[in-house]
Formats: sequence, structure tokens, C-alpha cells
Amino acid sequence: MSIQFKSIADLREMLDDKSISASELIQESLELAKKYKELNCFVTMNEEFSVKKANAIDVNKKTSSRLSGIPLAQKDLFCTEGLRTTCSSKILSNFIPPYTATAVKKLEDAGSITIGKTNMDEFAMGSSNETSFFGNVHNPWKKGYVPGGSSGGSAAAVAAGIVPAATGTDTGGSIRQPAAHCGITGLKPTYGRISRWGMIAFASSLDQAGPLARTAEDCAILLNTMSGHDAKDTTSLNSNVPDFLENINQPIDGLKIGLIKEFNLSDLDSQVQARFEESKKAYEKLGAQFIEVSLPNISASVPTYYSIAPAECSSNLSRFDGVRFGHRAESTDDLNDLYIKSRSEGFGDEVKRRILIGTYALSAGYYDAYYKKAQQVRRLIKNDFDNAFQSVDALMTPTSPNTAFKFGSKGTQNPVELYLEDLFTISSNLAGLPAISIPHGQVNSLPVGLQLIGNFLREDQLLNAAHIFQKNSDYHLAKPNLGDF
Amino acid sequence: MDQETVRTICYLARLEIDENKSEKIQKDLETIIDLIGSLQTIDTSDVEPLYSPLEMTALMHEDIEKSDNKKEKFLENAAASNEDYFLVPRVVE
Amino acid sequence: MSWETVIGLETHVQLSTKTKLFSRASTAFGASPNTNVNLIDCGLPGVLPSVNKEAFYKAIRFGMAVGAQINQTSIFDRKNYFYADLPKGYQITQMDLPIVIGGSIEIIIDELTKTINITRAHLEEDAGKSIHDEFEGFSAIDLNRAGTPLLEIVSEPEISNAKEAVAYMKAMHQLVTFLDVSDGNMAQGSLRCDANVSIRKKGDKELGTRTEIKNINSFKFIEKAINFEIKRQIKILENGEKVVQETRLYDSSKDETRPMRSKEFANDYRYFPEPDLLPVIISDEEIQKIRDEFPELPKEKEIRYQQEYGLTAYDAQIIASSKSMADFFETALQKTKNYTLLSNWLIGEISAYLNKQQIEINESKLSADKVAMLINRIDDQTISGKIGKSIFEEMCTNGSSPDEIIKSQGLEQISDDGAIEEIILTVINENPTQVEAYLAGKDKLFGFFVGQVMKLTEGKANPKAVNSILKDKLK
Repeated sequence: MSIQFKSIADLREMLDDKSISASELIQESLELAKKYKELNCFVTMNEEFSVKKANAIDVNKKTSSRLSGIPLAQKDLFCTEGLRTTCSSKILSNFIPPYTATAVKKLEDAGSITIGKTNMDEFAMGSSNETSFFGNVHNPWKKGYVPGGSSGGSAAAVAAGIVPAATGTDTGGSIRQPAAHCGITGLKPTYGRISRWGMIAFASSLDQAGPLARTAEDCAILLNTMSGHDAKDTTSLNSNVPDFLENINQPIDGLKIGLIKEFNLSDLDSQVQARFEESKKAYEKLGAQFIEVSLPNISASVPTYYSIAPAECSSNLSRFDGVRFGHRAESTDDLNDLYIKSRSEGFGDEVKRRILIGTYALSAGYYDAYYKKAQQVRRLIKNDFDNAFQSVDALMTPTSPNTAFKFGSKGTQNPVELYLEDLFTISSNLAGLPAISIPHGQVNSLPVGLQLIGNFLREDQLLNAAHIFQKNSDYHLAKPNLGDF
Repeated sequence: MDQETVRTICYLARLEIDENKSEKIQKDLETIIDLIGSLQTIDTSDVEPLYSPLEMTALMHEDIEKSDNKKEKFLENAAASNEDYFLVPRVVE
Repeated sequence: MSWETVIGLETHVQLSTKTKLFSRASTAFGASPNTNVNLIDCGLPGVLPSVNKEAFYKAIRFGMAVGAQINQTSIFDRKNYFYADLPKGYQITQMDLPIVIGGSIEIIIDELTKTINITRAHLEEDAGKSIHDEFEGFSAIDLNRAGTPLLEIVSEPEISNAKEAVAYMKAMHQLVTFLDVSDGNMAQGSLRCDANVSIRKKGDKELGTRTEIKNINSFKFIEKAINFEIKRQIKILENGEKVVQETRLYDSSKDETRPMRSKEFANDYRYFPEPDLLPVIISDEEIQKIRDEFPELPKEKEIRYQQEYGLTAYDAQIIASSKSMADFFETALQKTKNYTLLSNWLIGEISAYLNKQQIEINESKLSADKVAMLINRIDDQTISGKIGKSIFEEMCTNGSSPDEIIKSQGLEQISDDGAIEEIILTVINENPTQVEAYLAGKDKLFGFFVGQVMKLTEGKANPKAVNSILKDKLK
């Protein structure tokens, strides 16, 4: 029986009732990765180690964990000891980390098997996975179309059924948006829920790791394992991690869902809008109540984000100087020349743009007008959310203003065009709030995503609402044809 | 955004832009700056900046040694190193 | 033309914590290159800092000692620039909200006290070390020092000359060592000084253009560097020219300052709050604990030594002024009750020896226990003070214990009256001429007889006993 497109829950059953062994499962997963190589989901495979670990699990026979023997793909932003980690950048194309990210270590300690590192937008900067040094990732639903970004490789690997789940990171929508474009489920947890130790930093106050999977339930399984305070990351929450599966089946009668007044949905593609209205009705049928709420500053989210994220990244990426690791230019005159050439050769254009903008926003004379101003507006946006959550439990928006688009069709002339893809997702990163994207149909054969934003630490509520929707619909069961690959 | 400013921020960031790309980059930067400049219209008087979404304070650690040094691996990753040091082109102070 | 010098000093104090400011790598001096380097210190992708609370406690102790305001909420900022020994491409420091604000240090010049105010003191991480001349064509980077906690203390520009600058640094050294904040070793780099020097016409309110002098690593060089710079600037101004604002290095071999290699662009450090670290809050309880456990400072020791141990004010002041000396004294006190003799030895023989060797007492082979033993042996008359001095010499060279030396060389004082009387009688019998001369009135010959007794006893006869018995026998 093929493992392709199976969820973690499905695979667990198959492993437990011995209809498949861990070794067979891993073999198949690795073969699927090879078969669909054209998708370009993976940057580095971990074949030898995966087979060894699967064998060991079969020999050991004790499987106390849900994740034991489950193949996972890890976004190439997470350091994995001994396994190349590139952030899809030339500057790290030869980097072998001497340690493993906490989030990944937790998954591996729980018995999961990392079959490879997934392709992404370079240093997580992008919304289409078109900036990778290793080439674009294809959307499994349509060749030559973007999977979304920056966690495009992870989303595509899950959507194509190569792995049941993968890790991603979300700074402005980089888990949710590719999940939407690829027809799968993706969750960005509360900021601080998952440790950032070993997660190569893009924008420190915005980055969060999270799961991409076929179902909300599988996301909960991963979230349970990945979450928790880490002394090595002092920005990780010191709160208790609830069991996110515990109340996932609760009926959602009386769930109050807010619709954001300032997001004028009539500006969207009419079909995308139609899907949104349909899902709203579906939720109403399930017992949810919709209330209009106002978040007066939310339209400022995109400019706010694009002041803060580049500023933080311009500093975070200074360590890529060719001295201790990564690409170093040859034949340089002196130290400064080494820096300039190594970095200019090693970084792609989008990364350079963001570093330059960030440097500018922090520079003397501009700091107050750009960086500080943005952090002030950020507080206003957060306050707006806090206010809204006085009267609602969650907020609902489309994940993305449109569906996946053709390679090269957005942002080539004007980078801001791509930035506006993040319109609905970015604000939750600014406020540190959890948010989930679930598939809710297709427009022109391409998946459309529905987003729910939750209150601080309320991933349980989001997972519950998403799961109930999925129990009563079959959008998440749709599979891409993959005939072109 | 004038040439001088672009040169300065390129130097601060230790980046150089190809001749043939420099005009587009400058234009891109101007577009992005316009985007982020739009925040000027929002009234933020008396608003405290929000540097982190966590309303938390730092947990500090005890002054007890715990090494995770991997000297060989650190030096191995460098483009130029010997058995003890990272090496860079000679710096004259 | 009457000129006035204005000096402000920036002192970097390396804190004596066991581990670094943001990682738990050791700060031990002299480790093999790149071994005291944790993942964080290497600036690897994905690493995050975590704050060492002991560094804060030491900084707060300093703040309390100088009467400064302690900011119970402080934050860290990033200072962005590129250099080979700065692994992350930014230094984590404190810009807007440092841990300590204000305070002052008193210096004494020619018996006059002057107060130098402190602007602020903040915590920051040290950079690694670059070695430029060991490998042909390369500079070598050692990150052992990267991440070590520094307390940067900025003085107001209230210092008027080189002597005051030295006095300030010496006061700083004394303070940080007594507070157990740092070992204050200038030669090893745990106490560093950058001097900002400017000249203006006497009476002018505005400050002249200042230069920053770096790379001064001894008290002696502070004085020389500043004096050179003052002369240099005055000469420029007297020629009607302008002083260039720049950073200069002090070259001790040539005794001059020269400009650092000029940079193409002035550095814009683009400070912003460190997003990987949340604000640090020090609780009232922690503040109280630091106050409660506050170490004794020189002035208090001076008073206590006089009151509890009967030392003279002069002696107390000398012993209390050096932490290593004070610690030595206090340890030795556990083992001997003859405080006066102990302090005499410390200030006399021991200090003379240390000065000659140019070392501190804790760098010598002397131990407080063994010196206390020596004092006791002199005090209980096992040996004479003179023998004590020769034993001391051996203790300095070998670090051996007085009892061992006394035993192995048979140096016990002869105090038995009978034995001494016998020897005295021998001397008297063998020197009849001198005896006659003495009895005839040549009192000075008394010393001759004492000498003879000492010669026969190899210096071991108890001088008191010799004196009294000799007087008796020479009647």
C-alpha cells in the first residue's frame, strides 16, 4: 500500500499494525523524493542516516511515540548536525553545522526520521521560493507555478505526499502562505512557543518555527513535540505546553470569529472571495458566530514589517562574512575586500535588497523615522488585536490575496508587488499571535487557503476550529495530479 | 535616494552592487523606502515601541561553566584556518 | 598663551566572572586558542545569547561602591560593525539604558582630594583577539576572549593632567580588585584605558577638539601617552592650526602617539535594541542581597585594622591599600596573634622583597600560613629576628615552611641560660685582654663579646638572654 499522501495518523496505524515496517516506509519516502525530483523540494537528502535509523527502529520494536519512524522533511533553515544546512544560499552552500536546532532535535528524539532538507527562499526572504540559489520549487498542483514561500520546499514535499509533514518557519507568512498555495495545513505558533535555537535567524522578533502537514491534527502532533521552553533561547516562553490534541474534537458552538473590517475583501479575485464566503457559511453551520471587528492600524502591517524585518536581518546576516564558515571569495586584497566580495558573491539580490533597506532604516538620521516609527506602529497593531480579542475568539481572513502564480510573473519589476502577497499573514507576526492556514477549495485548479488568527497562546483553539472544519469537509483530502513531474 | 547614500549603505553592509544592476537596485530601494515611509502619516506620539511581542523579561543563567566547544569542527568550517586559528588576509592597524 | 588640558577616561574592566557574558564558556586566562569558545561565541548561524547574572551583580557592586544610580531595568543593544575578531558582525552592548548611571571616584593628588564624576557604566561583550605577525600574510583569529564580560566606565571630562589620570586609574584598580569585580590586571588586559584628550585656552568654556588614545596598558604608559599628546596638541594650536579629531595609538617603544589607519567612512554603528534578549530586571531582593554581601573596602579595613589589631594608622593604610596584601594579612591573622610583628614584616622585609622583584604578594612563593608560622617562631623565641630574616630569604626562593628550614638547618635559638652561660664563660676566658679593657671602662667592647657569643653559637643564641647573662658575668 502506498504511503504517498498518507497523514501521520494514517502512517502510525500502518506501522503499529505492522502493515508496513519503518524501513519500508522510509524507503518509499526516499523513492518518492527521487521520483518527484523535478519539484526541486529538497536541497540535501539524508538517505544513509534515515535508512539506518529506520532499521534501528524496526530492530528495537519499541515504539512508544506517535512520531517513531515517521519520515519528516526539515526546512533548510534549521541547523542539523553533520547534515549540510544552506538556507538555500550560495553563502552557506558548504556549511555543515556542528549542532542541531532544538525544534528538530525534539522531533528526532521523538523518533521521527529526517529524510532531507527542503528548499526555500534564500534566508527565508520571499513569498514564492523563487530566490533560492538551488532554483525554484514547483507547485505540485501546476508545473511552472510557485509553491509560495519562503517554506516552498516543505509545502511542496507535503503536498506531493513525499512526507506526511515538514517543518517550516514563518516570519511574515512563510508557513501559511505556501500551505495555502499547496493545498495543505500550516501553523505559525505563538511567538516563543518553539525554541529558535539553531533556527538561522532572519528577523529575530518575528521568526517562528512551525509544522506543515496534511491535517490540523497532524500539526497538533508536531506542535506538541516541537514546543517548550528552551534555556538556550531566552525568548522562548516559560509557559506550560498544553496537549494540543486534548480538546481538538470539541464542538465549536458559540465560537466567535471576527471579520476584519479594514480588509476589504471585495478587492480580491472574485473566486477567492467566493470561496471565503462559502467557508464562512460552513463555519456558521458548525456553530460559529461572525462579528465584524475593527483593527484600525492593520493596513499599516506591510510597511511596518518591511521596516522591521530588513533591519533585524541586516544585522543578523552580518555574521556571514566569509571568515569562520561559508563562502569566502578568492584572491581578495584585504579584510574589507574579503567581506565585500564574499558577501556580494554569496547573497542573492532579494537578500541584498533587504540588507540594504535594513541598513538604511537603522542608520543615523533615519532610525527614528523608519525603525523606531515602525516599532511604534507595531504596538498600535498589537493593541488593535488585543482589543479585538476582547470580543472574539479568533479572526478569519483569506491566507493570501490570490492563488499561486507563474514563475517570474510577480515582483520582477517591482519587489513591493511580492510584498503585498503577505497582506493577510504579516500582522500576526508583528503581534506574535498564532495563526493557521487550511485548504478550502480551489480556484482554477489551484488551492486556496483560509486563515484563522488566534489569541496569544491559543493554538489549541485554532487547531480545534481547523480540525472540526476538516472533519466536516474534504478540501484537505484533495491531491495534486503530479502527472507533469 | 542619492548615489552617495547608496554608496554609504553598501559600504556599511559590505556589499557591492554590479554596475549593470545598480540602477535597478537604486530604484527598488526607492520604491521600498516609499512603502515604509508611508508610516509617517500615523500618529505615534506617546507610543512605546514594541521591540518584542513578548511582554516578558530576561531569564538569566548562573555563572557556571558548561562548554559546548567543538574546536576542530569550528575550524573545519572556515575557508582558511590552521589547527589553532581562523585565518584572514593580514590586517594592518 | 595659557592652555588647559581636559581629559576624559574610558575604562574597560574585564569582569572576573567564571563564564562569559552571554555564554557559559570559561573565561580562564591562558587557554589554548579557540578552546574557550562555545557555539554562541563563535557566532555560528542559529545561535542565541543568554545573560550571565553574575556579570550584572558585579556591575551593580561597582555602581554601589561609586554611589551611582542602579537601573533595575536595563536593556541590551547591538552595535553593528565588521571586524575579524567580532564574530557576529555586531557587539552586544548597552546604549540607551545602561545598568549604572552617575557616581564618582575620589583621587588624592599631593594630599588634596579631587572628585571625578562618572557619566555611566555599562555591560558589553569583549571581542576576540587578532594576531597579526605570527603567520606570513595572514592574521590569525582567536575567539577565546570573545564574549568575555566588560564593564565600560566613562568618566566626565574632569581630569586635568596626566598625574590625575594615573591616580584615577589606580583608584579604579583598587576599587575593582577590592570589590572582586575584576582582577584589574592591566598587563593581561583585564583593565584597559582609553584616554580622550583635548586642549583649550585657559578660561574657555567650550571644549577643544579631542583625540582618543587607545592601546595603553600600564599606569606608566598612561602618564607618558597623555603627556605626549598634550604637548603635541599644544604645539599644533600654538602654530595656529587645528587638531584633527581622530583615534591614535600609543607606541611605547617610541613614546609617541600616532593616528590609527584612517577609515574610508566614519562608522555608523546603527544601534538598536537586541531582539534576542529581553529587558533585564534586577529585583529589590537581589539588590538587597548585593548590599548585604558587600565586600570591605580599603577605608573600612584601615579603620578595622587599627581598632581590632592595634596597627598604626600608617601601617593600616599601607596594608589596606592593596587587595592582595590585605587578603594576605587577613589570612595570616588566622594563624598568628602578633599583629604588630606581622604588619612590620609585611611593610618591611616582605614589601622590600616584592618591590625588588616587581611582583605582587600573590605572585610570590610566600604563603600567609608560612609567614604566620615565621612570625610565631620569632614571637615564641624559637629563633631570633636575625635568623628569621635568613629563613625568610629561603622561603621566598623555595616557598618552604619555616619549621622545615629551622629543623633541617638546626637554627633553633639557644635560650637555655645554662648553655648560654657556658658559652659566655668560654668567651670571657678566651678574651682576657678585652675583658680587662671593658672592666676598665671601654663600654663599647660589650658588642664585641656579644659578637663572639654569636659567632660561637652561629647566631643562634637568644640575644636577650646573652645580654643579661653577659652583663651579669662582666661585673
